[in-house]
Amino acid sequence: MNIWRIIVFNIFFGLIISNAQNKQVLYDFYEVPQALMLNPGMKTPYKWHTGIPLLSGTSVQAGTSGISVNDIFANDGIDITIKVREKAINGLNQNDDFGGSAQIELFNVGFRNGNRPSDYYSFGAYGEGFATVYWPRDLAVLAFEGNANNIGRRFNLDQLVSQGEAVSVFYFGLNRKLNNKWTVGARAKLYSSIFEFKSTNNDGYFVTTPGENNLLRNTLVADVTVKTSGIEGIYDVLDEDTITTQDDITALLLKRALLGGNLGLGFDVGFTHSLDPNTILTASLLDVGFVYHTGDIKNYTLKGAATNEGIEIILPDDFGNLNDEIWQELVDDIEAQIPYETNSQSYISSRPTKLYASFRRNFGEPKLRAQDCDCDTAPALKTDTFDYLNAYGAQFFAIHRPRGPQMALTAFYQRRLGSILAVKTTYTLDKYSLGNIGFGLNLQAGPVNFYIMADNLLGYRNVPNSRYASLQFGFNIISWNGN
Amino acid sequence: MRRFAICIFLVVAVIGLNSSCAEDQNFNQIEDISIVPTLATSIFYFESDEEFINDSSAGQFYTQLFTFEAFNQDFVADRILDGFISYQLENTTSKELEIQIEFLDENDNTLDSETFIIEPAPAPLLQRQIAYGDGGRSLDILKNTTNIRVSGQNLGDNNSISSLSEPKIILRSSAEFRLRLQ
Repeated sequence: MNIWRIIVFNIFFGLIISNAQNKQVLYDFYEVPQALMLNPGMKTPYKWHTGIPLLSGTSVQAGTSGISVNDIFANDGIDITIKVREKAINGLNQNDDFGGSAQIELFNVGFRNGNRPSDYYSFGAYGEGFATVYWPRDLAVLAFEGNANNIGRRFNLDQLVSQGEAVSVFYFGLNRKLNNKWTVGARAKLYSSIFEFKSTNNDGYFVTTPGENNLLRNTLVADVTVKTSGIEGIYDVLDEDTITTQDDITALLLKRALLGGNLGLGFDVGFTHSLDPNTILTASLLDVGFVYHTGDIKNYTLKGAATNEGIEIILPDDFGNLNDEIWQELVDDIEAQIPYETNSQSYISSRPTKLYASFRRNFGEPKLRAQDCDCDTAPALKTDTFDYLNAYGAQFFAIHRPRGPQMALTAFYQRRLGSILAVKTTYTLDKYSLGNIGFGLNLQAGPVNFYIMADNLLGYRNVPNSRYASLQFGFNIISWNGN
Repeated sequence: MRRFAICIFLVVAVIGLNSSCAEDQNFNQIEDISIVPTLATSIFYFESDEEFINDSSAGQFYTQLFTFEAFNQDFVADRILDGFISYQLENTTSKELEIQIEFLDENDNTLDSETFIIEPAPAPLLQRQIAYGDGGRSLDILKNTTNIRVSGQNLGDNNSISSLSEPKIILRSSAEFRLRLQ
């Protein structure tokens, strides 16, 4: 394995450790245009907006469930083998996962239809990637302990679940205010896959039992598939290991990002509904779509069943029938019974669909635009722009994952401070943390908008002991309604 | 008021960022992790009925040499630490029998052998464990074994038949070894 291959693996692993994809602080924080990406039916108080290319929206998230970096790597004098055995081998189960996601906006533009002011259009492109690996508990025990002391125990292969991808997304969205109670939106998406790996829906087991003839019987039943697209091409370039390798890999990734990869289609939908002037319901469904992988496919399969009790010589049946290659014949038989094969069959991969919903209650009189401000950069407020001074509520998030939906519940409080600042704080319960406090800040200086949001703040008391962290930030230029 | 709010936020942010901390971590520990599973598998099974033994001429009734490269595969040979091979011999025939297992290198030189002599039925189950590695025989025997020869010797007569149902000589064997994966 050359250095480039190691780098690619590190990128994968970097994503893995760098997941939940829940952006609870940003959701319905409508001062920030990027919140429109989480609900195309969000209230849009903008006349137009544009993100500053590559700086308008960046987010990284990482999460592990059941274990933290500190659990293993704390410099506490305890043998790491003991920590791994206690915290990982005996502490984790097959529903624990390691995952990360990252997203960077390439460009993001929105504008209101001059002829039909109730319509707000948005378009842009972003790149995103994620990786998730579920803890294969049985195989970890097999690797750590072996089978000798686990006679009769089934090591299940259905715990082999991992998925990851990098994709660029081009979109066009329409947001329409139907009336004072309803705002709806939809967005069409075109996906261009850069690479993907996926190993889900595996089945089978390995078990060692007392033999029927001999002392032990090893049985392997396997139905394991790893699908990849875009990875072989990257390896091929990396394997060249020439002076142009870096340029070649950049060109390859760029080509795929710019609609030269495996393509797919999808859509987002959402709405905002005012039950009364201060009570608001929202919901959105994101990334309902698929990517059709046809190019640069390499799938790996291990399918079959074999039982082995070693070499058998049974007389008189085998007398004269045996040769000195019976060991190799045994190996060949097993390989024939459980063939390891590759193919390049196309496949369809569904996108990780997400669902958001919220209930929000506003209170306090929204302040009107500061009348006597003589500053150069006029605060961005219009009387009809922001409908709250304080708001509280609850949000629900769910994402489709290989092992079923993963959910999170959030309580939030949001406040506007004058006409420049808006802040939002959240408390989220999910599989990664029962004490996830997040905080977001939106700063509006004239047309320039800056936002930053972070998650699991309590985790910063001891960062390596935190099981989840996320950060989002970006710059936008916004012209508000009425300006 | 606005400036006050901004100041408050900035102060909180600065305090927050500065109060974040990290317990001392040592990522070099990964070099010290020890993954040493104990793996077990059957090696070979030999069975002969008494009729076959009687039909053979006196003395050796069977010999078979075959390749056996389970231990000299690089993955195993480079990682094997220690372990043992277990043998189990069961004789329900009417005659005393000798079974010999020879471990041979690629030039058919005998590296090690194990000989079992078992009494006629009703003989107790003969069980033997041969340790390799720490405190036992050299692991090089296994690492260099490419062939195994199994031989059966009739130390009794050629005409008696045990009164037991389906009289046989059976040799069972398995290996249990520790491998250092990391």
